[in-house]
Parts: sequence; structure tokens; C-alpha cells
Amino acid sequence: MYPSFHVEAGRAGIGLRTPHYQAMIETRPDVAFLEVHSENFFGDGGQPLKYLARFRQDYPISTHGVGLSLGSADALDREHLRKLKRLVDRIEPALVSEHLCWIGVNGRFLNDLLPLPYTSESLVHIVDRVSELQDYLQRDVMVENVSSYLEFAESSIPEWEFVREVSQRSGCRLLLDVNNIYVNATNHDFDARVYLDAIAPGSVGEIHLAGFEDAGDVLIDTHGSPVSDEVWRLYEYALQRFGNVPTLIEWDTDIPELAVLLGEAEKANHILGRYAQKSDDVA
Amino acid sequence: MLRETQTAIAASLLAGDVAAADRIRSGKMTTTRRLEIYRHNVYANLRGVLTEIYPVILAVVGDAFFQHAADQFVKAQPSRSGDLNQFGREWAVFLGGYPHAAELPYLSDVAHLEWAWHEAFHAGDAPRFDLARLAAMPAEVHGSLCLVLHPTVRLVKSDFPILRIWEVNQPGFTGEIKVDWDAPADTLLIRRDMTDGVSVLIERITNQEHAFLRALWRHATLEAATTAALAIDAAFDLQAFLFKSVHTGIIVDFTAQEQ
Repeated sequence: MYPSFHVEAGRAGIGLRTPHYQAMIETRPDVAFLEVHSENFFGDGGQPLKYLARFRQDYPISTHGVGLSLGSADALDREHLRKLKRLVDRIEPALVSEHLCWIGVNGRFLNDLLPLPYTSESLVHIVDRVSELQDYLQRDVMVENVSSYLEFAESSIPEWEFVREVSQRSGCRLLLDVNNIYVNATNHDFDARVYLDAIAPGSVGEIHLAGFEDAGDVLIDTHGSPVSDEVWRLYEYALQRFGNVPTLIEWDTDIPELAVLLGEAEKANHILGRYAQKSDDVA
Repeated sequence: MLRETQTAIAASLLAGDVAAADRIRSGKMTTTRRLEIYRHNVYANLRGVLTEIYPVILAVVGDAFFQHAADQFVKAQPSRSGDLNQFGREWAVFLGGYPHAAELPYLSDVAHLEWAWHEAFHAGDAPRFDLARLAAMPAEVHGSLCLVLHPTVRLVKSDFPILRIWEVNQPGFTGEIKVDWDAPADTLLIRRDMTDGVSVLIERITNQEHAFLRALWRHATLEAATTAALAIDAAFDLQAFLFKSVHTGIIVDFTAQEQ
């Protein structure tokens, strides 16, 4: 019933947020894809789904989950899985992704993307859960590295090795958030390029770019400002390694006019244009 | 180990203490500061959810009161779902027992109305009533049929003029901000507009209409629902109300009893 879209390599998309719905409908900007937070469309019906169905006619959609709590010690929430599958069946998204994090435990939710302790126990756990999710949805899911402001004392594996291993062992591709890597490199004193160098070329299916806020002693991943120059440079370094991976501009707080997002997407397009596709060797 | 670590961190973030500090590294920031960043994010995020679902409560009590009450609520009733549209269901009950809101006895009912609005906004769609299907049923079984309400229908009753409070606190309200506290109790029907499928409507209904719809909500038969309405007021006009409810999409289907 929907046109069958895939996300073209070499072009950028934008996060779709309600303040932009009207402008999107009126101007139909030429972006590669639109990404939404899956849970915002978990309702049974009404306006959110009506709008999403409308945008789905014109754009490939990426559903990006923030609430599954893939890394929690709790069992995956069956109701959450059911609603996610219902959304995937309804919208037929081109891309589906979740986060390498936990947001709650023992049935109580913090609803914030918390990092995992990077241990072999966590690795085995999350690899199992990625497989469970892909089996349940009957499709590929990408997982995204998160920003963080703390590291666990028990962590025994560098984050980049952990992220690489999740992809290698589960066979899922990565949604690499370059801003998150930059934020973490600053917050935890490591070289962001070492992180990117550890990730297998061909394992990256999407890149996220967003703005952070400098709180003085720490960088906070607010998604509330333009992509910083340092992150653009790191993005360029990433494209040298991963090729012209579909890229998304995220903006979630202090949301500006649509034109500002489109400007950021255009900037990404410009950089993407300098690189060729490299993802044919995906396992 | 994973569960122990997550349990400790979650408890510290909700309580705002540093009991989990020994589980994280300090480095160039203290562990206290690191936990504080997350605690701030968790509370700010959940307060933001309540702000979006309860704009009228926010307008009535103001930002400082709302934020403080929201923090108490998050601590007392942590979120139970990864889907934030489920968060805040118990806010009305919480406000009803919140000591600082004791002088605003209507607050809890206004919150019930806003939660009903929120549910109606996200509830399922339904096709219109199939009158031909009903016509095919023999008249003598009509009384034993169960009428099905549109999935968006919610009912809220209050001793206070909560609809007026809701109206004067809408963005763009330009009339005189005046609430008649002697107005009769509000009995409200909340649902989505069938013509556009998305707008949420709030309307006053009579007590007998409320009794009728409430009985249907509990899957009572047409006969039992009618009896409930007539018990409130013997003048209940079943025909007229049924016609209106089917026409406006409040009632969308029927099921034969015991099927």
C-alpha cells in the first residue's frame, strides 16, 4: 500500500518533529528520509499516526526507538515489542533502530538513555537481546551508541570494542552517532578517532549528527544546537572509513525553524558528495 | 552483576542520593556530579512529559508549584513504561492527596479531564455504525445487544466547573477569565471528532446520558443501560440520544450478548 522506499546512500535526512509538520507538508523539502521516535506513534490511532502515514507517502521513514531498554537486566517488555511491531507493520519503515543502553530496571523506568557497564556479561546479554528483537520484528534493526556522563567501575572493555563486538556477534548494523562519540571522547578522555578506527567498515548503516551543549566540565548531548565544527570534522573522518552512509540531523530541544535543519542536512549532503558508497561488503 | 549495578544506579537517581557512587569512576568530575547530571536529566525529562499532558494544571498552579509537585510525583510514582505516553496516569490521584494542593480541591478533577483528553487523543480509530447490520437483527433481540462506544470515548464527572476552568486556561482564550463556582457539577464526555478523526472534543452531558454511557462502557446490554439512565431520570429520551450518539460516532458498533 505504501511506495517501497529505501534510503539512498550519499544523502541526509532529518528528524521529524511536530513543530515542523505544517512546513513539511507545505514545502515538501527534498530530504533523503525522515526519522521519528517510535514511541511517539505507539498509540492505537488518531493524529500522530495519521500524520506519519501521510509523510510515509512521500519519504522513506526511519523509526528510532528510545524506550525499549535493550540493555536492561529486565526481560524485554512484551507490550512494548508488540506496539513496536505494530508500528513497523503499519508504516513499513526503511530503517529501524534502537539504542545500546538501558532506561529502567525492576519495572521502574528513568526514561533516560543510560550507558551499560562494558563487560563480557553485558555484551552477551545485549547480543542476545538484539537477536530477540530482530527475530520478533522479523527484520534488521540497527543499534546506536549513546552519549554518557559516567563510566562504570566494573567496565573492562573499551566502549568502541564493545560496540564493534555487538555488531559482529549479533550481525546487526550500527547507527553510529558521531556527536555521541565526540561527547564521550571529551567527557571520558579518549581519542574519538581511535573509536572510529575500531568500527568495521561496512557495519555502519546510518550516522547521526546533532549539537551538544558545553556545560564547562562536561559536554551534554542536548540535540538543541547546530552540529559543532569539531563534530563535522569527525564526521568527515568517519566518512573516509565508512563511505557515504545515510546521515541524519537530529534536533530535539529548542527546535528551530525547518530551514535551519534543512541547512544542516545540506551541509551533510555536501560532505557526503565527496565520498563513494563503501557498504557493499556488509556481512 | 548487571542487575545489581542497574538497580543501584536507578535507586540513586530516583532518590537523588549518592549511594551508587562507588560503582562509577570519578576522573575529571566527581561521581556526585556525574550522578547529578543524570538525576537532572531524568527529572527534567519526566517533568516535561507531565507539562505536555497537563498544560491546564500548569496554567492554574504556575511553573514553580508544578515543577515541585512533579518532582514529588516522579519520586513517589516512578515511570512504569518505556513509552512516555503512559506516564502520568496517576497524576490526578496524586494531586488529590498532595498537601500543598489542599486549597485547590478541583485540581485533581481537572487532571482527570486532561488525562482523558490525552487518552482520547491517542486512542484507536473506528468506522461508523453499520445501520444495515443492525436492521438485519430482529427487533426483539435489540434489548439484549451490547452497544460499543468509540474507542476514544471517556467520561469524567466533577463537583467543580472543570470544563470552564479548562476553557479559560486554553492558549488563545480571549474572553473574561471568570469561573462561576456555583455552576452545577460537570458531567463530561470526551472523544475525538468523527468528521476529522483527530480533534478531541469535550462536551457536557446530562446525568442520565452519563449513566447510560457508563453502563455501555461496562459492556451492559442496551436494556440494562436504559434502565440505569431511567433510574436517574424517568424522562430519559432513549430514541433521541441513540440517534445522536450513532450520528456523531459516540456509538460505533454492537455485539450480540454472549457471543
